[in-house]
Amino acid sequence: MLGFIGRRLIIAIPTIVLISIFVFALQKLLPGDPVLAMAGEERDPEVLEFLREKYRLNDPIPQQYLHWMGGVMQGDLGVSLRTRQPVLELIAEKLPVTIQLAVMAMTIALMIGIPAGILSAVHKGGWIDWLANLFALSGLSVPNFWLGIMLILLVSVKLGWLPASGYQPLATDPLRSIQTMLMPAFVLGTGLAATLMRHTRSAMLGVLRADFIRTARAKGLRERTVILKHALRNALVPIVTISALLFGELLAGAVLTEQIFTIPGFGKMIVDAVFNRDYAVVQGVVLCTAVAFIAMNLAADAAYRWLNPRMREQG
Amino acid sequence: MHAEHPRLLSVDGLSVRFRHHPANIVDDVSFTIGAGETLCIVGESGCGKSLTALALMGLLPKPAAQVAAGRAVFEGEDLVALDESRMSDIRGNRMAMIFQEPMTSLNPAFTVGDQIAEAVRRHRGVDRAAARGRAREMLEQARIPAAEKRLDEYPHQLSGGMRQRAMIAMALANDPALLIADEPTTALDVTIQAQVLRLIRQLQAERGTGLLMITHDLGVVAETADRVAVMYAGRIVEEGPVAAIFDDPQHPYTIGLMGSVPSLGRRSGRLETIPGLVPTPEAMPRGCRFSTRCPFAAAVCAETPALTEIAPGHRVACARAPIELRVAEDAA
Repeated sequence: MLGFIGRRLIIAIPTIVLISIFVFALQKLLPGDPVLAMAGEERDPEVLEFLREKYRLNDPIPQQYLHWMGGVMQGDLGVSLRTRQPVLELIAEKLPVTIQLAVMAMTIALMIGIPAGILSAVHKGGWIDWLANLFALSGLSVPNFWLGIMLILLVSVKLGWLPASGYQPLATDPLRSIQTMLMPAFVLGTGLAATLMRHTRSAMLGVLRADFIRTARAKGLRERTVILKHALRNALVPIVTISALLFGELLAGAVLTEQIFTIPGFGKMIVDAVFNRDYAVVQGVVLCTAVAFIAMNLAADAAYRWLNPRMREQG
Repeated sequence: MHAEHPRLLSVDGLSVRFRHHPANIVDDVSFTIGAGETLCIVGESGCGKSLTALALMGLLPKPAAQVAAGRAVFEGEDLVALDESRMSDIRGNRMAMIFQEPMTSLNPAFTVGDQIAEAVRRHRGVDRAAARGRAREMLEQARIPAAEKRLDEYPHQLSGGMRQRAMIAMALANDPALLIADEPTTALDVTIQAQVLRLIRQLQAERGTGLLMITHDLGVVAETADRVAVMYAGRIVEEGPVAAIFDDPQHPYTIGLMGSVPSLGRRSGRLETIPGLVPTPEAMPRGCRFSTRCPFAAAVCAETPALTEIAPGHRVACARAPIELRVAEDAA
């Protein structure tokens, strides 16, 4: 298993390098100049030139990339062109927020999506299936910003149960922190639950037709054991895949939801950075997201080998 | 009827119906199995023999198929009338089943030992260690070499023959009184087929298990059966001791079936085939369901023939039986 993870990590390196080149190049194609944004109203040519020199914007692009990459290797993601804060520091500030939101949203998604998918597959064609599909359809079609605003209106304004916005770090006041995150996590989570439910349902429907399910029933096992042990274990492979991808997406930040609930996560930071042509921040965040995605995929691959013994013999 | 075998299962008028199908797919099927006895149900694919077995196990694909009529009394209880909870206490315990496809009938995600031990724990309420011990013992009885090691292997690490042996070990782990085997050798290599059949026979004889063997292979019938029931289009058309069915078949379908078996030695002419196809449920003829393909069909065949005893223990559902006599009458 360790050998497998080691091999996969080595394969991940060129992937990350390619992504970084791609992001670096794509940014340079964008119209707009960060120096103009920094220099303010006056735009003194000398100041502009000074800034360009300082941030090496006059160097050939490959050289700029190598310089940046050299820094990354040493744990230096550069400095924000706008706030002059180190990018690493900015990320370290936002990452816990995004991770907390992602974990809470994912927990809600899994807790709703998987049971709903199992129930609707087992009762295919019945009213439970119909209800679950209705939920999935609404989950997929109701936009997050609308649901978020409606929730604030109902839960915070009318009922006064939860704070409408604001963020409290988990370390300083855990209860308050979870309270403030509950609604945004719910908004994100129900949307993902719909996707998860659909995938769980179709995976379970496929497995429930398998011969080994008939064998399990022929042994006299209780239906609960047949479904939750024999069927679910085999249906988990696609569910794990989709969960890993969804979690990766959550780690990249949720722009609209963060905006509505004024949560200082990745989503807002990257949008601001793109608008300001804050190259160093965009690169840093994208690199960070790419690493998170690769890590999630690696975790999913490791999970397959646990779920499916046939894959353990392959390298 | 068979004094040497106390009665274990007696099926009476069993019918299975599919939703939206006009005719019963299994129609008015009756037979008995004595303790330690082997009954082979033989017939071509789609004749309803597997559905009969699944109906007895309470494993029909619901809600598409269901038992429409009949009784199946097993050790004093009517299986058709039992609720799911009681039925699941019997399944895998007093009555067990092995299936045609050893490659797909075991769960790929769990070890062989796990899957056998699970059945033991479910019905005997023993702890993990005892169940594992029983699983190893069963693998040994199923003549699986290195049983201890096999316990921790996954199905994909076993060959088809070994998997079928593991299925047999699983089915017999709780010493069932009745074993239903649905084409257990069809998916195996010919050399393995004989070994697996021999194993089933041996274990059955050691334990006095009743066996309902479902097959389309007359070789398997000759090898295993005490009695044979021939099914055609959902009905039993002939039933009797194995010798009578092979030596003196009375139903035109059985006669055709026997004629279509290749045998060693000089062959005279072509292998017999039965003309036509099995009727679909939509086009099921009234009366005798074989009448559309029968060379001896007559006006009387428009009425459903009853299974009638023509010799001790030998019953046939044909208005024209015994055929030789009727054909001679027709000619006269």
